[in-house]
Amino acid sequence: MTTQEIAGLIDQTYSPQTWAGLAPLLTLAGGILLLLFVELFERLHPLRAPLFLASLIGTFLAHKYAGAVGPILGGSYIVDGATVAWGQLFLASTMLAWFFARQYYRTSLAFLGEHDILLLTAPLGMTVMAGAGDLVTFFVGLELLSIPLYCLAAFRRRRNDSVEAGLKYFILGAFGVALLLYGAALTYVGTGHLDLAGIAAGLEGPGRPLAFAGLALIAGSLFFKLSIFPFHLWVPDVYQGSPTPITVLMATGTKAAALAFLMRFAAVLPGSSANLIALLAVLTMAAGNLGALVQKDLKRMLAYSGIAHAGTVLLAVAGTVAAPALAGDAIQAVLFYMAAYIFTAGGAFGILAWLEADGDLFTRIDSLRGLARRRPWLAATLSLFLLSLGGIPATGGFLGKWLVFSVSTRADLITMTILGVLLSVVALGYYLRVIVAMYMEPEPAELAPPMTERAWATFGTSLCAWMVLILGVLPGWFLGRVF
Amino acid sequence: MLQHYLPILVLLGLVLGFAVVNIIISDLLGGHRRARGKAEAYECGMKPVGTARIRLSIHFYLVAVLFILFDVESIFLILWAVGAKSFTQAGVGLFVFTEIVLFVGLLVLALAYAWRKGGLDWDR
Repeated sequence: MTTQEIAGLIDQTYSPQTWAGLAPLLTLAGGILLLLFVELFERLHPLRAPLFLASLIGTFLAHKYAGAVGPILGGSYIVDGATVAWGQLFLASTMLAWFFARQYYRTSLAFLGEHDILLLTAPLGMTVMAGAGDLVTFFVGLELLSIPLYCLAAFRRRRNDSVEAGLKYFILGAFGVALLLYGAALTYVGTGHLDLAGIAAGLEGPGRPLAFAGLALIAGSLFFKLSIFPFHLWVPDVYQGSPTPITVLMATGTKAAALAFLMRFAAVLPGSSANLIALLAVLTMAAGNLGALVQKDLKRMLAYSGIAHAGTVLLAVAGTVAAPALAGDAIQAVLFYMAAYIFTAGGAFGILAWLEADGDLFTRIDSLRGLARRRPWLAATLSLFLLSLGGIPATGGFLGKWLVFSVSTRADLITMTILGVLLSVVALGYYLRVIVAMYMEPEPAELAPPMTERAWATFGTSLCAWMVLILGVLPGWFLGRVF
Repeated sequence: MLQHYLPILVLLGLVLGFAVVNIIISDLLGGHRRARGKAEAYECGMKPVGTARIRLSIHFYLVAVLFILFDVESIFLILWAVGAKSFTQAGVGLFVFTEIVLFVGLLVLALAYAWRKGGLDWDR
């Protein structure tokens, strides 16, 4: 390629449209760099919190006003309605994690500034993942998300469980990324393309078997991040060992990001794989729900419940693979489900972070006994989140489940849908047990969590509660704003 | 399609064969003088036997990361420097120059951060 041609390419690539599409990413990156700069001077440290919030709000506005400009940078980054909606959800998830991280760390106070910087890097990676039009962009996004999370999981570095969580997440995450790269290499050999559209077209060629092996490996790596059945075993340990605000981000944002790309990737998968995906979805729900039933620790129980929720939402993916005509409904269902899940699970983990305040004793279900008498509002809000996780009507969780099951039913995955609905009922068993403990059991003498008042956490929790109710009662408001 | 990759298979066979044949030949033709030191595994100056859980200074890691930072910088700078003149002739010199300045600026910020946080003090 001559320089003249490169110059032409530069002109063509960096159009106003490109800048509009990149605006949210650039805003976020700029915020991260400014925070890094502020970190250098002790005197500027009071600016950390306003700058963090300003970056989030600025990025949110950039998403909103730049809008969906379509494929940019030669199709390697796609800014469609879904990318914009996902991007905003990721920001919400990060904001919740940040709210709950305020005043959370009592012991290891070093590097708290870096904590925020790493936290802000995660949604950047997530958004790149959601908009990725080819496997290389996706890989960059995945690493941009994963590497900060490895550090954050091990952030309480004087504690064995936190370091264990970070190490486990890192080793298994590296394994997942290796699967992805191997799969991408095989797909490239088989089809000659790394972009999703090219792969779909290349599947008709002679490299079909190799490409299918590659696609299976890539799906495996996505399932790993999403905690789908054979790849879900890391979840309880990592969620439990990580600082709880980071668990908020991992449970909501990371899952949503993997799912966002999986929805794009589903267009490449052959229709015949729909039954297998639906089977994995049901197995995941079974593994998550049955695992959660026997947990004594609320953080672990919520981790298993997260596995079950990943299984539920995978049914919508199976639906869109089985019937590509349903793709629009499926993405709507998945977006709604994840929006509800981000605020529900985010709020539940957040309350846990609040009560526990960096003391691991207080994540046990036993320590919540009699909470309703001491802190009625907190107990009521946690009950709301648990009911929404269980899918009780008038909460966001119910409508999410309803939309997902309606997609999988219309895609003729009837048996799996029925199994899924039945397994959702099992889930109520362990959610209600926590509510029973809070309302009907006497207070324990020694396990009760300390009474702490935390303004940011209060704000975050009530935001989650309002969103769960709004999504449950006025779903049209959300769907109308997104599409 | 797949037969295009036959040369890679041939290369793999050649490489494996070369390695194996060389090991066998040197074992057959070479002299054998056994000594205690020679039988030990070579481990870059560490004791090869003993617990693997020795503590290494975190500075090794920091230096390695900083090295990569500036290693990558120099690679990109060389690419830009080689093409700079022709980019100017093609009329996109300013754009490319701004990009490289931004890139170096990012790395300077990273260096300032590492410096300020004491990443460059070896004696801490």
